[in-house]
Amino acid sequence: MSVGWYWAVGGLRRAVALGAFLALAAFILGPLLTLLLWAFAGSWLFPNLLPEFSLKWWAYVLGNADVTKAIRMSFLSAPAATLLSAVICIPAAYAFARLEFPGRRVLLLSFLSANAFPKIGLYVSIATLLYRLNLMDTFAGVVLIQVINTLLFMIWIPTGTFRGINRNLEEAARDVGAGPLRTFFQVTLPIALPGLLVALLFAFLAAFDEAQGTLIVGTPNHITMPVMMYTLVLSYPQPVGAVFSVLLSLPSLVFLLVAQRYLRAGYLAAGYSL
Amino acid sequence: MTGSRREGALGLALVLPPLLLLVFLIVLPAITAVLDTLAPPPGASGLTLARYAQVLSARIVRADIAFSVVVTLVSVAAVFCLSYPLALYLRFAEGRLPAVLAVLFTIPLFVPVVIASFAMITFLVNHGLISTVLYHLGIQRFPPLVYNATGIVLTEVWASIPFAVLILGAGLQAIDDALIDSARDVGAGRLRTFVSILLPLNATPTMIALTLLFISIFGSFTIPYLVGGNAPQMLGVTMTNYLTQYFRRAEAVTMAVIAFAISAAVGAVYVVSVSRRERGTV
Amino acid sequence: MGRAGRRWSLLVAAGTALAVLVAGFGGPGPAGAQQPVTLNLYINGDTNIFDLWQKGFIPAFTKRYPKYRVNFVGLLHGNGSDGVYDKILAAKRAGRTTDVDLWETEPGFVTQGIPEGLWVKLSAKLVPNITKVPTEPLEAADYYGLPYRGSSVVIGYNSQFVKTPPKTFDDVVAWIKANPGKFTYCDPNTCGSGQAFVTAAIYRYVSPAKYAGKGYDAKEEAAWEPGWKLLRDLQPAMYNNGFHPNGNVAVLQLLAQQNIWMASVWSDMGLDFYKRGQLPKSMRFTQITPPLIGDDSRVTLPAGAAHLEGVLTLLNWLLTPEAQMMVIDMVSGYPGIDWKYMPASVRERFKDVAKGFSPYPNPKYLADVKRLWHEKVVAGQ
Repeated sequence: MSVGWYWAVGGLRRAVALGAFLALAAFILGPLLTLLLWAFAGSWLFPNLLPEFSLKWWAYVLGNADVTKAIRMSFLSAPAATLLSAVICIPAAYAFARLEFPGRRVLLLSFLSANAFPKIGLYVSIATLLYRLNLMDTFAGVVLIQVINTLLFMIWIPTGTFRGINRNLEEAARDVGAGPLRTFFQVTLPIALPGLLVALLFAFLAAFDEAQGTLIVGTPNHITMPVMMYTLVLSYPQPVGAVFSVLLSLPSLVFLLVAQRYLRAGYLAAGYSL
Repeated sequence: MTGSRREGALGLALVLPPLLLLVFLIVLPAITAVLDTLAPPPGASGLTLARYAQVLSARIVRADIAFSVVVTLVSVAAVFCLSYPLALYLRFAEGRLPAVLAVLFTIPLFVPVVIASFAMITFLVNHGLISTVLYHLGIQRFPPLVYNATGIVLTEVWASIPFAVLILGAGLQAIDDALIDSARDVGAGRLRTFVSILLPLNATPTMIALTLLFISIFGSFTIPYLVGGNAPQMLGVTMTNYLTQYFRRAEAVTMAVIAFAISAAVGAVYVVSVSRRERGTV
Repeated sequence: MGRAGRRWSLLVAAGTALAVLVAGFGGPGPAGAQQPVTLNLYINGDTNIFDLWQKGFIPAFTKRYPKYRVNFVGLLHGNGSDGVYDKILAAKRAGRTTDVDLWETEPGFVTQGIPEGLWVKLSAKLVPNITKVPTEPLEAADYYGLPYRGSSVVIGYNSQFVKTPPKTFDDVVAWIKANPGKFTYCDPNTCGSGQAFVTAAIYRYVSPAKYAGKGYDAKEEAAWEPGWKLLRDLQPAMYNNGFHPNGNVAVLQLLAQQNIWMASVWSDMGLDFYKRGQLPKSMRFTQITPPLIGDDSRVTLPAGAAHLEGVLTLLNWLLTPEAQMMVIDMVSGYPGIDWKYMPASVRERFKDVAKGFSPYPNPKYLADVKRLWHEKVVAGQ
């Protein structure tokens, strides 16, 4: 890092900057910390500084069969949706990045509509279609509705990633006699892997967070955690929501530590340049 | 010639599966929705904008639209002002601390918004954690930080920082060290380097970040629903109320189309600016 | 009527066919071989109602009728309801049966679905025990829902700060003005306890009967103006300069944090929270005169329900004293059947509060109450 000078400033300004960052860190962590305290609170009435500690709400939440079932469903459906999305979107992204075909730009842009149109007005139509296809209250239906949320990430980020790969590398492989598929799997894919991982990560989070569509398509037998979350957070005593929140965030935070390395590398941004 | 036609066919074939999903599950239902809002009253024919006129004639709806735009713009601006220095810091600072901070600032990305809102309330509400700590320090008066626009902005900012930092940071990462060094060599100071090298070279990622932040915050429901006040409300909440509480489905869908139009307009600005830039560089 | 009748026979035929199917394909055993039928119940409500179903009704019902299993889907009102409604409507449009066998929800959704033909019209032929239910609440929903329990809104107050509890609505108003910032009611778009306070203000100047019946004329709403003015004037004295949180629970939390000292709350929920130690020890509940509104909660049967026969069995069972006692014991609610069918000891215990609530406005008026409240009270004028 030869450009460290840009940030290497004098003591006072450095201290001010550091203070600002620590304040920001408190802003980020504070709410989560409060939640963590609430999760272990038997009860917490003002003006006590700390709650009266108890694990009773954990037993309450974990002892609830519906909750454990929802946790299982979330961890089955979100990865399935992510994988399905990868299978159909990565070839499409490759096409967007490398092939010239009519309407390429418009089609690429059209995927933005999956995130920009308020879905609340669309659910009756979507559900009618899924009823006709016999996909209501099925695992496949839940996966499908979650895939919709992942499309934007799974198309745009890999498109950017593929575009960033030097064509000469692929052409060199073709020159020594490798077929197009072999070139893709042995040359392009390994280079693109980190970018694809970032896309997978975002797709997973988008699928994992889907609530309203899953509620319509998945009930009564395929309920995921986010579907239960509104109910748990809003209508149970506060510690219940907190316990559930901690349960729901922990796996994601583990994911964060794993994915951290790739997140900073810039694949995310590459995807959004047209 | 045949080669490019084959390429075109292959390209379309590869794009087709996700496109079909999009068309059947989003585009067609959306077109149906738009047509419904334009449908004339029973008996008449042709298309009419009467529903839009009716929805927009309600003062309270107009207030909610304005409120949504203002809250979104303020949130985007705040995210931008906090994220840019952070991205710069993570790009240029050395040592262990930046690595730790980098992890820290990505955390909100992994916290579902329902939980983020809930956490924010327990943290900021009067007699919540902060106010209880202040109370014990002898400070009794506490400003209302949640259940109003402030709460929405704070929570939106909290939830959006990682995304902005990641995109801006990635753009900065892509700028060649040599360029920055040469700026110093010709005697440019930090601010000068920032204004004349970093900012313009990072313009595309910046535009991307701003646009996507706008679209996602403008369209949000959960955060304003949980953390916001009673009135004015953001459009996502108003729409839901019209649908589920006032049982006026036609108006709710009309508002959805209006919201989409606003998001699409912002998206269009982004597309135009990015393509102009691309054309410029080619 | 002819159309409805035809739909009826179709439904009954479908139900019978389904029963035959289930019995016929139920397995190789003799005719009685038990392939359990799973009923999917969608219950929108707060936690006490979830408990009533999950710990009370369902175990007792499945013990009594072992042929049935029950799949309970507990959903928060508001956010869950529109999804469930969309689901039922979509099934109808696609011509399919729906997995929603029974739905407990706000009357507004039921009213909205009647012209679409979404619900089963109940009768003594389908649910013999329905004769025990007072006709008034049945007619209020045109027999498209079964009122199986009632509860009412009361005033909750922290006796540490409120020395003389209010006796009338005017007492409450006076107290609010004397203690600015220490009262609130929840946003009526999100909860019944808020609707209760708002309607109390409206009913202060008009006759409740006019709006509780079936008629609807938007012009009649002009008479609400004094009520809106009263509420608007109270805004500055509300918690946080006029803030109304979302949902019944949020108000209870404000009471718990002692941010407020008085609020309108559902009697059953308030007691439940108090018992769990989630409210200060000094919390008390009282009913004012005239009483705040209460609600006959209804369960509605979608016309496309896949397990019609089983649900009708459940509905009939819900109206037995066995089930109705659970309403009283578990959620301190009022029974759905006429008091005269309840054990004498219970009648004695409840003789003072029986029907101790004012009627809700009908769904159309209620939808307008919510919308106008938003326009006229919180959005200023």
